[in-house]
Amino acid sequence: MSEFEKDLLEQEDEAKEALEEAEDAVTEQAEDAVREAEDEAAEAAEEAAEELVEAAEEAEELSVIPEETVQELAEIPDDEPESSSVRSGKAAKGARISYERKKRLYGYGFIALWFVGTVYFFLYPLIVSLVYSFHKTTVGTSGMELSDRGFDNYIRAFRRDPNYTKALVDTLSNTALKTPLILVFSIFIAVILNQKFRGRTFARAVFFLPVIIATGPVIDIITGNMSTSGTSGTAEQFSTLFEANLVDELLNFLGIYNISERLTEIINTLTSDIFNLVWNSGIQILLFLSALQGIPFSAKEAAQMEGATGWEYFWKITIPYISPQILTCLVYTVVDSFVDPGNQVMEIVLSKASNWEHGYMAAMAWAYFAIIGIALAIIVAIVNKFVYYEVE
Amino acid sequence: MATKKEEKQFEKERKAAIKARHKRMKEEGLEKYLTPEQIRYNRNKAIVGSVWPIFRFLILFGLCFVILYPLIYMISTAFRPNEQMNDPSVIWLPKSFTLDNIKQTWKVMKFEETILTTLRMNVIASILQVITCAITGYGFARFQFKFKGLLFAIVVMMIIVPPQIITIPLYMQFRFFFGSTSISLIDTGWAMYMPAMFANGLRAGLFIFIFRQFFRGLPKELEDAAYLDGCGPFKTFLVIMVPNARTAFLTVFLFSIVWYWNDFYVSSSFFNNTHTVSLMLKNLGAQLSVDLFNNQTPSARQLIVWLEAGCVLSITPLLVMYIFLQRYFIEGIERSGITGM
Repeated sequence: MSEFEKDLLEQEDEAKEALEEAEDAVTEQAEDAVREAEDEAAEAAEEAAEELVEAAEEAEELSVIPEETVQELAEIPDDEPESSSVRSGKAAKGARISYERKKRLYGYGFIALWFVGTVYFFLYPLIVSLVYSFHKTTVGTSGMELSDRGFDNYIRAFRRDPNYTKALVDTLSNTALKTPLILVFSIFIAVILNQKFRGRTFARAVFFLPVIIATGPVIDIITGNMSTSGTSGTAEQFSTLFEANLVDELLNFLGIYNISERLTEIINTLTSDIFNLVWNSGIQILLFLSALQGIPFSAKEAAQMEGATGWEYFWKITIPYISPQILTCLVYTVVDSFVDPGNQVMEIVLSKASNWEHGYMAAMAWAYFAIIGIALAIIVAIVNKFVYYEVE
Repeated sequence: MATKKEEKQFEKERKAAIKARHKRMKEEGLEKYLTPEQIRYNRNKAIVGSVWPIFRFLILFGLCFVILYPLIYMISTAFRPNEQMNDPSVIWLPKSFTLDNIKQTWKVMKFEETILTTLRMNVIASILQVITCAITGYGFARFQFKFKGLLFAIVVMMIIVPPQIITIPLYMQFRFFFGSTSISLIDTGWAMYMPAMFANGLRAGLFIFIFRQFFRGLPKELEDAAYLDGCGPFKTFLVIMVPNARTAFLTVFLFSIVWYWNDFYVSSSFFNNTHTVSLMLKNLGAQLSVDLFNNQTPSARQLIVWLEAGCVLSITPLLVMYIFLQRYFIEGIERSGITGM
């Protein structure tokens, strides 16, 4: 056998393998599609059945009087067999309806516990705090004593309070800056952690560590913004670790003297920013990683066949597939940074709580909450246009 | 079916064959077999393939260092004698190790009592919360009823509304439970258990959401089979769905434990004399100045060894749990599929 023939055979084998793999992938996909279609069909059928049942109920309600009249009429002995058949038919129908109804009732049964709790522990306090925001509150022996203030609390927050508006603007702009950074960073890290390499488990474990630690008071001691102190915490120490003696010396060595101070400053902010960035993006990395693992293998294979570079693959395959997750992470990041007790607005709000100015505090919190809500709605509406939902 | 070992063998052989062919092709001149674009593509791929791992290692190493730095610093500080904090010749490794800081901090935090209280409250609240959130999530995932959309909007609101807004009215709810002046839940574990029992504990909205997504992802045939065999919905849930949702349960339970452990906002609002680990850690600075410095106010610089020792004490249980159950934190989230929002 000549070299060429061998080559041919090899290629043939490879082609066969590729074909088999492709077939497998196709069958898998087909199975998936079938399953999903089945699910959808089942759901649709359920919905349709429900609609039918509802219609039947309505019809029954409507037909109650006529049927009674029919029965009254049917009490004439001649029609007895017919009426009994009507009754039995009705009984059967009634049983079916009660089963469907039962299922609906079970639905209420499953959420009843939560609903009771939510009314008592969430909705009622929420409404009460809204009421507080229109009143001046004083703490009495048997609860809050309220006196009506109208919109005064709100006007005071925006017009007269020197700190509130400033803190609000600061927090908003801070969030606007931080969110894209966190998103880009966590996508980047998630893509890296999704590749295969030695020590991946360890790297993943380390990157999710902040999720466990960063929600507690430990992080305050680590970053050194404990209320009790002006200590230099680790974040600061971390940036002084890199404080640019090295950079200085390098620049001096090169004969450049003037810009080094400026550079030091930039490096400082950058390093401390990296600290905050890494410590704030644990959950986002987790979410993106789970999205990345949801990308079907066939897409990757197709891209490879077409000769896509890594860069193209990232923009044309990865980003569209994880775009729903980008929206989720965006919302999560924004909410997280707004709700963080460490941000300026929250600090002011909480300080008012410890001063017993609950009405004023509630007004500030509600104004803040309304702004968050509107901002989120706008962001979601805009981003949602760019999100790619896979429809099969 | 080939066994795994055989498959590995095949893979090896395939790779060797491809390599050999490449070598041969190179000897004969690549132009004969491939277009210029293909050659360029392969060359670029080879270059990226050899350089990228180095970059990746550098990036990951640097970032892991950023994350581990505070922990290393914490351990290094907590076990060194206080004098050596100001010794410029000591940076990472102290000249001598001591357990005094840990022992003193242990005493100041009343650690046995604190950790027992915390563990008891966390575990009970988390278990209650997991159970009720699972039930609620299942209700939202599989049943159709009126106002479902509206009710689910409330769940989403529970995620978004900062707890600080409702803390004060909630305090009143607890202080005057169901309008009575005699029953007060403040400073008792019930302030944690009651909301958890009604699926309204810490971050309950998020957990309900996770469970809903998870149950929606399970195949419906499972339940249909159970219904046909005559199980009611509750029995189906218990017998069929719960065993299938083990990972989701574990993940939510773990996160719940972590968040209850770390929470100091809610507990500082409702507890005055009940000591939880995070509350004690939050107040550690003040407590230390009373116990160790005779009411002087020492600077944080002086306190740092004890503060870091407190950190070590309070995160060790979480870290131990994380090291053993790390798999479930990560896999659980991945599988529970918050993906399809």
